[in-house]
Amino acid sequence: MPNEPVGVLVIGAGASGAAFAWSIADTGMSVLCLDQGPWMKQQDYPSNGLDWEARGMGDFSPSPNVRGLAADYPINEEQSEISPLMFNAVGGSTILWAAHFPRLTPRDFRSKSEDGVGEDWPIDYQTLEPYFALNDRMMGVSGLAGDPAYPYHEPPLPPLRFGKTGNTLASGFEKLGWHWWPSDSAILSREYEGRAACINLGPCLSGCAQGAKASTDITYWPVAQRKGVQVRTGCRVREITVGADGMAEGVLYYDPEGQLQEQKAEIVVLACNGIGTPRLLLNSVSKQHPDGLANSSGLVGKNLMFHPYAAITGIFAEPLHGRRGPVGCSFWSHEFYRTDRSRGFVRGYSFEAVRGLGPAQSALSGMIQGLVPWGEDHHRAFDRFYDHTASLLAITEDLAEETNTVTLDPELTDSHGIPAPKVSYRLSENSRKMLAHAVERGKEALMAAGAVETFAQPLFREAGWHLMGTARMGRDPSTSVVNEWGQAHDVKNLFIVDGSVFVTAGAVNPTSTIQANALYVADSIKKNIETLFDPA
Amino acid sequence: MTETRPALNDHDFMKALLNLLIPPSASRELPGAGALGLETAVAAALQDDPSLGPMVEAGALAVREAALAEHPEGLPAMAPEAGTKVVEAQLTAHPFLMMGLLRYLYPAYYQHPQVLEGIGEPPRPPFPEGFDVEATDAELLEKLLARRRT
Ligand SMILES: Cc1cc2nc3c(=O)[nH]c(=O)nc-3n(C[C@H](O)[C@H](O)[C@H](O)COP(=O)(O)OP(=O)(O)OC[C@H]3O[C@@H](n4cnc5c(N)ncnc54)[C@H](O)[C@@H]3O)c2cc1C
Ligand code: SF4
Repeated sequence: MPNEPVGVLVIGAGASGAAFAWSIADTGMSVLCLDQGPWMKQQDYPSNGLDWEARGMGDFSPSPNVRGLAADYPINEEQSEISPLMFNAVGGSTILWAAHFPRLTPRDFRSKSEDGVGEDWPIDYQTLEPYFALNDRMMGVSGLAGDPAYPYHEPPLPPLRFGKTGNTLASGFEKLGWHWWPSDSAILSREYEGRAACINLGPCLSGCAQGAKASTDITYWPVAQRKGVQVRTGCRVREITVGADGMAEGVLYYDPEGQLQEQKAEIVVLACNGIGTPRLLLNSVSKQHPDGLANSSGLVGKNLMFHPYAAITGIFAEPLHGRRGPVGCSFWSHEFYRTDRSRGFVRGYSFEAVRGLGPAQSALSGMIQGLVPWGEDHHRAFDRFYDHTASLLAITEDLAEETNTVTLDPELTDSHGIPAPKVSYRLSENSRKMLAHAVERGKEALMAAGAVETFAQPLFREAGWHLMGTARMGRDPSTSVVNEWGQAHDVKNLFIVDGSVFVTAGAVNPTSTIQANALYVADSIKKNIETLFDPA
Repeated sequence: MTETRPALNDHDFMKALLNLLIPPSASRELPGAGALGLETAVAAALQDDPSLGPMVEAGALAVREAALAEHPEGLPAMAPEAGTKVVEAQLTAHPFLMMGLLRYLYPAYYQHPQVLEGIGEPPRPPFPEGFDVEATDAELLEKLLARRRT
């Protein structure tokens, strides 16, 4: 039996797809979301068992290439200096994310005007401001109002506790007189909307068994479903189909039994993240769109931005109890965020203070650094290392370059035979200089906080958490893929709401901005529905 | 005598090898890895790993052969110092042996209740009890609030 056509078809049930679907349901149109992954169960998350660290490196690894689960597609990353990371399920990558929730700053939307690099966005911080606030309420954000690095905003919940690690690290920034502020975190410091508060389990990066971390399967989706949105899981979209008029007709997808199905829709919305979205567009080849859908600019899959990361760690004499508490959320620093050309690079970076590792990860990290040997000296070295480390992550601005790409691999396919993505990514000289600067400043902060020794990973390879730029937003159809409403220039009833549309990356985690933008796109559709499909 | 079993499935050999990697602590509060019966899990994980598994098996085979050349009963019968020398002698030819073994041994060892207790951690999963953490330093917060934007 053919599937009933729907009004709005959303592909991808992650951070952006959930926010968009929840909002667009207000129109009364029928809304369906397809995701290749399943619903997750909190009782299956690793922190329910003693083997939580082993599983975090196995079936809950952030790398789809390591997990290799039915919901995953492989990614050729041989030509990438950073490994792309994600999770495929209802909730998408928010199942595994750290929930560190900074917004892009107002200046990040106009890097070209400010610093002569990148491009300006066609929208600005003020446009997104009401959506940031709405999204903070929907996700449940803890934080402290008044950060001088941002326009004033009030997180709905008080900040999370720093723990000894956060207190120690913050004292270093304070001594140096550097900017620091408690992070906005999409983790509940108190019970909120029927969800329980964080109990400091620690392994946020392999799913929150407590439900305190805002993954969209437990924030947006239940409310969206109550509004009538349907979610179909285990459904992998192969391609978006187009009619003779060049408009999107719907999609072809494989159902959980592996049968090819057709789903028609009036509006198709892509929310598959910065790798899944260009992959799907490039796989959607037709007579009208021989180079892939919405690709008349040739920019689909280009300008991939990741945010190169450096990790700088201090070893402290006192135990820090660092494995307890939300691993990625205590405070941030924007001390080196803005351009200062005397530093030898343009734009800047932020620091994110992170807590310590569990015992197995500590032993492995100590091994990699040559600080925890095997053999007779193992226990003495482990004792000095475990529970005695605290780290700073430097998140550097990634300037868009057309040579950093997502393309289709000529040979590699997923389990349905659909061509898999190939990621080619090289670090720019600007990024390398920024990372080197961040390592030195990070060490300075750690020493000021009382570290007895420091070490650094100047480029953290397993840090491709942020996937941006591969279908950028802009007013000019020759230099962008979607317009300021997320609408494809070439296909009027096709919208993109994930991080692919980012014009610049800023130097902060992107998801708050991705979701605010998804809510804004949904509202733009609602407001402009009468004229949305008129010819230009 | 030449052994024909894969080295990773040779329990006595593996116990001895794991005990060299993580021996009992001087105070004996922490057991050696070989005493915890982890060899089967470590071997199974390695045999499931197509990139590290074959390299570790090759390295472990070389260690077993070298040990048998020095002592008729091989690694299990050797003193720790002598066993360590035999292992170290193979590391140039088998650079991934240690990395591969430890990739799976550390998670197995450090999730064992006896080890968790020994390092001062409660021998339970994080959920459902969770943990307490120190509150944010009030003095630091006060300084911060003086600088806040209103
Ligand atoms: C370990 C980790 C830690 C992170 N920490 C942070 C953090 O602290 N702060 C922050 O801001 N960000 C963080 N991120 C990034 C954050 O998770 C992403 O920015 C965010 O989830 C992106 O949202 P999205 O909607 O674009 O894509 P996703 O959330 O990745 O969702 C995409 C969905 O699309 C589905 N999909 C893809 N292709 C198809 C197809 N062909 N057919 C059907 N379904 C498909 C996938 O199954 C998936 O569910 C982290 C990510 C990871 C992996
Ligand atoms: S620390 Fe808090 S958010 Fe993280 S997993 Fe534990 S309860 Fe969830």
